[in-house]
Amino acid sequence: MSRRRARGRLGWNVLGIVIFVVLVFPVFWMLSTSLKDNDQISSFTPTWFPRHPTLQHFEDAIHRQYFWTDVGNSAIVVLATVAIALVLSFLAAIALAKYGFSGRKLFIVLVIGIQMLPQAGLIIPLYIVLAGRHQVNTLTGVILVYLTFALPFCVWTLRGFVLGIPKELEEAAMVDGSTRLGAFVRILLPLVAPGLVATAVFAFITSWNEFIFANTLLHSGNKQTITVWLSFLYGGNRFVDWGQIMAASTLIAIPVVIFFLLVQRRISFGLTTGAVKG
Amino acid sequence: MLLRTVVFTAVNVGLTMVLGTLGALLLVRVSTWVRLLLTTGLVLVWAMPPVVAVQVWSWMTNSENGVLNYILTDVLHVGNYFQHNWYETTFSQYSMVTSLVVWGAIPFVTITVYAALSQVPHELVEAAQIDGARAWRIFKDVTLPVLMPVLLILTSLSIIWDFGVFTQPYLLIGPGQQTTSNYLMSTYLYFEGFGKSDFGIGAAISILMLAIVAALSVVYVRRMLRVGEET
Repeated sequence: MSRRRARGRLGWNVLGIVIFVVLVFPVFWMLSTSLKDNDQISSFTPTWFPRHPTLQHFEDAIHRQYFWTDVGNSAIVVLATVAIALVLSFLAAIALAKYGFSGRKLFIVLVIGIQMLPQAGLIIPLYIVLAGRHQVNTLTGVILVYLTFALPFCVWTLRGFVLGIPKELEEAAMVDGSTRLGAFVRILLPLVAPGLVATAVFAFITSWNEFIFANTLLHSGNKQTITVWLSFLYGGNRFVDWGQIMAASTLIAIPVVIFFLLVQRRISFGLTTGAVKG
Repeated sequence: MLLRTVVFTAVNVGLTMVLGTLGALLLVRVSTWVRLLLTTGLVLVWAMPPVVAVQVWSWMTNSENGVLNYILTDVLHVGNYFQHNWYETTFSQYSMVTSLVVWGAIPFVTITVYAALSQVPHELVEAAQIDGARAWRIFKDVTLPVLMPVLLILTSLSIIWDFGVFTQPYLLIGPGQQTTSNYLMSTYLYFEGFGKSDFGIGAAISILMLAIVAALSVVYVRRMLRVGEET
């Protein structure tokens, strides 16, 4: 019996490794290509590993026009979105979790409902609104748009975290003579910190990865975000510089990968709290 | 085009859910180190920005010397795909888009379903085994009912996401290669609204999309609301 089970496990392990290889292959191929020299890339029989690893493509990519400008734009957009989303959604989450107010139910419906709208369907209305305020082709316009998507998710996730903290803790602090603000700063804030980190990373990733709105709203090369920059990295001429494209892709993926490894558990938790608890 | 979008969504959601759930079931059965390996791989895939993934896909599937044609022809020997152009027909174009979208969507489903699987009571599975139930029976009558709420939510989320998916089809097929013969709702909306600067038509398509998605996401919103009510 136990031997049969061991053999069964071996079979599953082999299957698991095969799936791992297929799953990760595109990522591996990106890395591998970015390190190959051009002769090896354009060869008709591809080789798995770079023969003479070179950083030339990375160097070409970062010296390309607007690379650093657009990385800077992305950084500004991401930082502003994360900062504003965190402050607003934390306050909103506390209100939702702790206080009853008229319109609370409507607020919850909106918070959940807005997350469900397909972004493509909102390009035109948002574009028209922003154009009316002269916010097309500006970073502030894009930040506003990203906030509309980041806020609902952050509010909802943080609400879950705030709810998880027993009311008695805060009350005990206030009985011991702390003010409401003091209880908030000393009790609530440290306990919700993991939630704040998780939502901050989520807002970071979505705004760093976003393409549709950045692509429609930002027209000039020096105002674009880095994903739009990458989407134009095609060449247009007959020769496509795949090495450089893969090197740039790697550079753009790195920040997201790092942050993802930090919090992936929290994100799936946030999106499906309903399923687990309901 | 509405039909094409619906079929595209159905295929993508179906593949994502089935493969994702199978992946989660596999995660339970492998040894710890393989599980760690797979989870790391899943997170890596999950973290790939869509635009990056599109670039990698167009490199892998390009007809000149893409690695996909090489693998099919010279490694797996399934036929002669030397310089095969994957973007020739609409069906083939969307097969590529589907593979890209499903690849990117599987990690979320697998990791979530895996988390939910840990909530299946051990006693129930063991009791069923002692009563002589086969693996399939155990899955159908013990595991599946516990997973149902999670699967339901994941399915409605996937429907919403795949119905409105834009970045992947727009970039992978290429802005220049899209005409009325291969639009999805989202790309149609974009080309009518911004390509031809006809905001009226664009807004009309938007409303249609929003209405369809609103109808589809009722399940998700209702369940989330119930969670909100409880407190």
